[in-house]
Amino acid sequence: MKSLTRGHIKIAVTNLRSNRLRSLLTMLGVIIGVTSVISVVSIGQGIKHQIGDQINRLGKNVIIIRPLQLGAGQTGSALPLLSGFSVTSGLNDQDYKAVSSTTGVKMAVPLSLVAGATKGDNTSQTSVVVGTSDNFPSLVNQSLAEGVFFSSDENSLNVAVLGQNAANALFNENVPLGRSFTFRGQQFVVRGIFNQFTYTPLSNDINYNDAIFIPYDMAQGLTNNNSPIYEILAQSDSVHSVDQTSSQINQNLIKLHNGQPDFSVLKGYQDLSSANKILKLITRLISGVAAIAMLVGGVGIMNVMLVSVTERMQEIGIRKAVGATDRQILNQFMTEAAVLSLAGGLAGVILSLIINLVLRILTNLQPTINWQIIALSSAISIAVGIIFGSVPAIKASRKDPINALRNE
Amino acid sequence: MAKAGLNYKAMALIELEDVSKLYGFGDATTLALDEVSLKIEKGEFIAVMGPSGCGKSTLMNIIGLLDRPTHGVYKLEDKPVSKLRPNKTAHLRRDTIGFVFQSLNLLPKMTVLDNVALPLTYKGMTLTKRLQLASNMLERVGMQSREYFFPSQLSGGQVQSAAIARALVNQPKLLIADEPTGNLDSAGSRLVMELMSEIHKLGNTIIFVTHNPELTRYATRVVYMHDGAIIQDEKTRLGQVAPTARRVMYTMPGLTEDDDLAGVSALMKALPSKNSPRTSRQKKGRKAPRLKNKKVSRSKT
Repeated sequence: MKSLTRGHIKIAVTNLRSNRLRSLLTMLGVIIGVTSVISVVSIGQGIKHQIGDQINRLGKNVIIIRPLQLGAGQTGSALPLLSGFSVTSGLNDQDYKAVSSTTGVKMAVPLSLVAGATKGDNTSQTSVVVGTSDNFPSLVNQSLAEGVFFSSDENSLNVAVLGQNAANALFNENVPLGRSFTFRGQQFVVRGIFNQFTYTPLSNDINYNDAIFIPYDMAQGLTNNNSPIYEILAQSDSVHSVDQTSSQINQNLIKLHNGQPDFSVLKGYQDLSSANKILKLITRLISGVAAIAMLVGGVGIMNVMLVSVTERMQEIGIRKAVGATDRQILNQFMTEAAVLSLAGGLAGVILSLIINLVLRILTNLQPTINWQIIALSSAISIAVGIIFGSVPAIKASRKDPINALRNE
Repeated sequence: MAKAGLNYKAMALIELEDVSKLYGFGDATTLALDEVSLKIEKGEFIAVMGPSGCGKSTLMNIIGLLDRPTHGVYKLEDKPVSKLRPNKTAHLRRDTIGFVFQSLNLLPKMTVLDNVALPLTYKGMTLTKRLQLASNMLERVGMQSREYFFPSQLSGGQVQSAAIARALVNQPKLLIADEPTGNLDSAGSRLVMELMSEIHKLGNTIIFVTHNPELTRYATRVVYMHDGAIIQDEKTRLGQVAPTARRVMYTMPGLTEDDDLAGVSALMKALPSKNSPRTSRQKKGRKAPRLKNKKVSRSKT
């Protein structure tokens, strides 16, 4: 019977090809369903990977201290941070000093935001200007592409290190070493360019590639010691003492904040789990939409197969006359529906691969498609074909040969 | 003649006893076959003649196990087959019966070779084997050069030849042809009939329906039907037009199918009328206009 099945598949493919437009329209539901599921799952997987990478890069012994308001609502873009309304109540210089003097903290780095416009060659624009200290590159484990980061002696100099996107935006060139820009009335000289940061669009972090880094003391000077710190990064002595150190930091800060815990102390991996929660929710939502698309696609397949059965009554009659049993006719039409649906599934896989590629080129997302999701969606599309193809196939197989030949 | 020898040892291949076929319910019931009894021996070449709507096709369909009789017994090789399950009849059709229809015989999307191999596919034969058998069969009907053509690229006679090849590819015990020459010109008809006659000479049993009295010269036996019953059954000698058919054939020019039909009508007048009290029944009155209608619609096409 193996060769019979092969024959059925061949016939199904021929029929599918000879009626291209109709096949395409029929498959549309399945295509949309499969594409959306694969795309969303792959984007989710990619983000999970990226966050994981980032945490691994930071090291497991990194502790992140953020004002609570920031941690609660904001996602993604750095722009809301610049509006500043929720930031001021957050962390300040005192907190930073407290964190760095906590026992068990190897080093701590403040990240403060300074609002204002930067003026490069002739363009003036709002940039993300971050005041930070000399330990920043070593703490986030990031190297420079060009130049060097400012050292501890240079904390009050007018120097800046740029992320790659910021360099391009400000000077229209990749290596603007030695060039200068104006910020809050002061002249800053560019002395280093970072390598590309791995950036996760859905996490709470600022995209460092867009940021301009200036010395922390300089930033404080510019704003009369008033620039809000949006994040303090601390590194504990060892991976094992992370929990202990973070609770120590927590205690110290509560004391400073008069018992108000209006900040959060996160360990690296907690970031991952909160991102996971969001991703799971989105995946479920899209899966529901995809299930509906598959259902509609299945009904479409059923409809077209019913038309096909009616159109091909003569063929069914001839096949029965030369000795096809009911079951063989049933199998033929089931196979055809399954092939139609599987073709839709494969088209969906190809489409989602293209979407994947486009996303990788145009955005920072790095969606990953694994074979499991491809296998799963192919299997589901075959199942849809078989389930929704069964009604027309049963109709075809039950047809009396003589009535089929007479085309009634 | 070899025929006598064949007849000698043959048991009846097909035996119909009082087979009736009714269509419809209640007042709309029509009687397509009226207690037909027929015995067909192995090696016979039977022509079935009669006007449209006389039940020829119904008889063919019942013999070919495409349809089942309402009443009566049908024995194929001494086994009653009229009450078998659809699955069994499908297997019998596959293994013992070959069909040739008037038109639309071949599946248009498959090559001639694939079409001929179709019955073997349902037998579960491997691809190479069934293509080889199909190819051999096409060679036998003189169609080998057309193996990879599609049916739309063939002439009517070639399509019917391919259909005959398909009907024979399973080595069936019986070949049923329902007006195989109905859509063909005289050259095509001759091609097809010569082919069937050759196959008959190889020992196959053939039963075919025709409107053309000329074609009875290929047959060994002619069965005339009217109003669902067999009204005459005569043996003829191969190569000669059946005596009853001959009575009318020269009165007609016999060029088109319509002429053939007219010839059949004339033939019916020449035959002894159906000697049953049925003539007086209401049924006949109802049937006559139906017959007329069919003829009208046919001549239109």
